[in-house]
Amino acid sequence: MVPANQTHDFHPPIAPSGLYWVVPVPAGGLNISPDGNTITLEMRNVPIVDQPRWPSLDSIATPARMTFKMVWKSTGQPVFYENASRQFRFKGTRAQCQLEAQVEVPSIGFSWKSDAIGTSRADFAVMGEEVNGRYYV
Amino acid sequence: MTSVPGSCPLCNRRRFLKSFAWAATAFVAGERSSGQQAAGETANGGTEPYPIPWLDKNGSHNQPAGPDLEPSHIYHFKGRVARCSTFTGMGTDNNGNRIAFGSPTTDYGVMQGDYWAARTTQHGAFTHI
Repeated sequence: MVPANQTHDFHPPIAPSGLYWVVPVPAGGLNISPDGNTITLEMRNVPIVDQPRWPSLDSIATPARMTFKMVWKSTGQPVFYENASRQFRFKGTRAQCQLEAQVEVPSIGFSWKSDAIGTSRADFAVMGEEVNGRYYV
Repeated sequence: MTSVPGSCPLCNRRRFLKSFAWAATAFVAGERSSGQQAAGETANGGTEPYPIPWLDKNGSHNQPAGPDLEPSHIYHFKGRVARCSTFTGMGTDNNGNRIAFGSPTTDYGVMQGDYWAARTTQHGAFTHI
């Protein structure tokens, strides 16, 4: 559900293949702690679009860019999801996740920067290992 | 009935087959030029990952985040994944306005490992943002 007071919606374009709001992580953008319990994702000036009226089919997409840092920390609580009909298996743990970001929409002179990462919160987060599709056996 | 020297049903059929073979050759040549396939290259498809096949309520290959839902946005995938959703936070725009971010569908994910594309195993890291 999109909130009624939403003024922006930032994401990468859907790829021609249908791949949904997914972009490659450049070298050095993803760091995993030696114990595997912390994942840090940092990317700068990622080309995205602003589609305030998403998911309306005629929602205009305005070029924008996003810089962000996201950190997952495992809580250690085990999680296991499997769905044979959809051919996936995930084994991992619950996690805490926090985000800081800034976005720019140059054509309309808009920019926005979040407060420090410690002030954000995600109600749901998991991290672990997954197999799906041809790797699901 | 007028007889045409050299004409017979078999001859006509052979002429047709020759024409067909020529047409097929032309068709293949046309395919190559429109596909921009350069000499010496393979034609195994791109190395971009496949999306998850299932569609969400909006008709997209999107995977909502949550308990018992698939964390990856890449199909034919094997590796590390992290997922989160329902973000809340605050920020400030360039005019000094305080604007909140996040909603129940504000979700992110990262996938690192092997995936299948171009008819073989690829390796990479991707994020859903």
